[in-house]
Amino acid sequence: MHPILAYRGRMGPYLAAWVPLGGLLAGLLRIAGSPWGEAAAIALPMAIIYGFICLAAWYPCKSASPHSVPFLRVITTQTMAAAVSAMLWLFLVDTWVVLLEQFPVFSKAAERFPRLVPVILAAGVVLYALAAALHYLLMEFEEARQAERSAFELEVLAREAELRALRAQIDPHFLFNALNSISSLTGSDPGAARTMCLELADFLRESVRLGSVVSIPLADELALAEKYLAVERARFGSRLRVEREVSAEAGACGVPPLVLQPLVENAVRHGVANLVGGGVVRIAARRLGERLHLTVENPMDPEAAVRPGEGVGLANVRDRLTALYGQEASVEVRQDAGHFRVELAWPAVPASAQ
Amino acid sequence: MSQTSSPGRLRVAIVDDEEPARTLLREYLTAHPEVEVVAECANGFEAIRAATELDPDLMLLDIQMPGLSGFEVLELLEHEVAVVFITAYDEHAVHAFEVHALDYLLKPFSRERLTEALTQAKKHLRGPQPWLPAIAGAARPGGLPLSRVLVREGPQVHVIPVEALDVAEARDDYVCLRTRGREYRKQQTLGELAAQLDPAKFVRVHRSFIVNLDRVARLERYAKDSRLAVLKDGTKLPVSRAGYARLRDKL
Repeated sequence: MHPILAYRGRMGPYLAAWVPLGGLLAGLLRIAGSPWGEAAAIALPMAIIYGFICLAAWYPCKSASPHSVPFLRVITTQTMAAAVSAMLWLFLVDTWVVLLEQFPVFSKAAERFPRLVPVILAAGVVLYALAAALHYLLMEFEEARQAERSAFELEVLAREAELRALRAQIDPHFLFNALNSISSLTGSDPGAARTMCLELADFLRESVRLGSVVSIPLADELALAEKYLAVERARFGSRLRVEREVSAEAGACGVPPLVLQPLVENAVRHGVANLVGGGVVRIAARRLGERLHLTVENPMDPEAAVRPGEGVGLANVRDRLTALYGQEASVEVRQDAGHFRVELAWPAVPASAQ
Repeated sequence: MSQTSSPGRLRVAIVDDEEPARTLLREYLTAHPEVEVVAECANGFEAIRAATELDPDLMLLDIQMPGLSGFEVLELLEHEVAVVFITAYDEHAVHAFEVHALDYLLKPFSRERLTEALTQAKKHLRGPQPWLPAIAGAARPGGLPLSRVLVREGPQVHVIPVEALDVAEARDDYVCLRTRGREYRKQQTLGELAAQLDPAKFVRVHRSFIVNLDRVARLERYAKDSRLAVLKDGTKLPVSRAGYARLRDKL
């Protein structure tokens, strides 16, 4: 990308900088013998014109970068470019002088032109050198900024991948209990044992797959939670009840994979599983304006002993959403008298757009 | 109330909150004609009731259960029944078992593994089980202070959240817990209880008293070297010199 043309705010100051250079040039032309009026009439417009010509310095600067090309080649390339630019400019100045001559005030301009040629050529080379130096400087600056930005992006991506990999790890407690249930069903109800094997396999396969993607439709995330809940239902029986309320609009939104799953697991493991009579896990998703809201609610035993590891899943979800959406992500946790509720919200994005 | 079992018979209580897990144990146990399953409990409260009313020889006890965990059940059992622990995955529990060289079953387990555990358990049925209090403490994760105190009255279990505990007083060989205008007895020493409670919230003000800091209204000088703590409900407790030093730091 051109370091000046590609940025809206840079063209103005760049051309403005050529005005005093034009003044300087007018001074030189005056010294070379032109009267002030004529010198100014030649120097000021021609300086601006040369400003445009010098934007082309980007091409030699790009092809002869001091990072990738021997120094001698940088010098030769730029010298040639300077000579070509100065010659072109000289030709344009000559044309301009011929045009000026039409006005009675400047009738002597063409006559005096040969005396100006060395000044124009020398100024052309020096000004080109200045412009080339500016281009090098800006290109270097852009490169540094780009490197910084991609380093930041990489960091966010790496963190997100790490957290996702962490999430994709299956809770060993869940796994061993599920295997125990299967072991039990094998004796009492082989058909149910097989069904449970399949549900568990589905859940594991999905969890592993989702560890490697960046975004999935919310409907897929809910389907994964469904598989998890099916396995847990075999263990807990009627103690685990589930209600869901998901709008079609919300289901079509893209979500970071495994963002809901830890909350559902918490609701079962730290909520319903700790209640002698069990309870209802409620999952809701809706789109409110431009934001997607996900809610997981469950009853809990306020007097249950605190167990280690609580809060890790939730902290991970919070970290991931912050890494992805920054200030736009919100994680609200409410806990009162036997009820636990987490609400996540972030800008809604259609699943296909990601 | 103890029902003497005939020699060689083994009266077993199965305690697990998951129905398939209980079914599996029952199925495995049918291969042992000497075993009689006297109770199937779906939580810790039922386990304590079964222990009181049915007096089993052995309890197959799951650790992660609603209401009371397997360790809390153990703490309340007071040596009256042998226990084989069962867990799916619990690093703290497994560590505690290993430290005390205890047998335990990891889900899922085989028929043979259960048989082995039964054989081991039969060896120390009704014998002293000195590891009982130690393991309950060792299994409490990460040295966290107690969040609730459990008291057993026969078949019934009372759960007292520590915030609701006003005063604990040492009596002959038990601790008297005062909470919400009621008193409960717990078989424990005051020193053990003091070690488990959060030192930022509870202070042992005297050899015989632990007090909840929230309940203390003021201190009164009583004699030259002794003081009284006056609680918000007007109760007065003696404060020893060491107790005063501890209290002064916290108030």
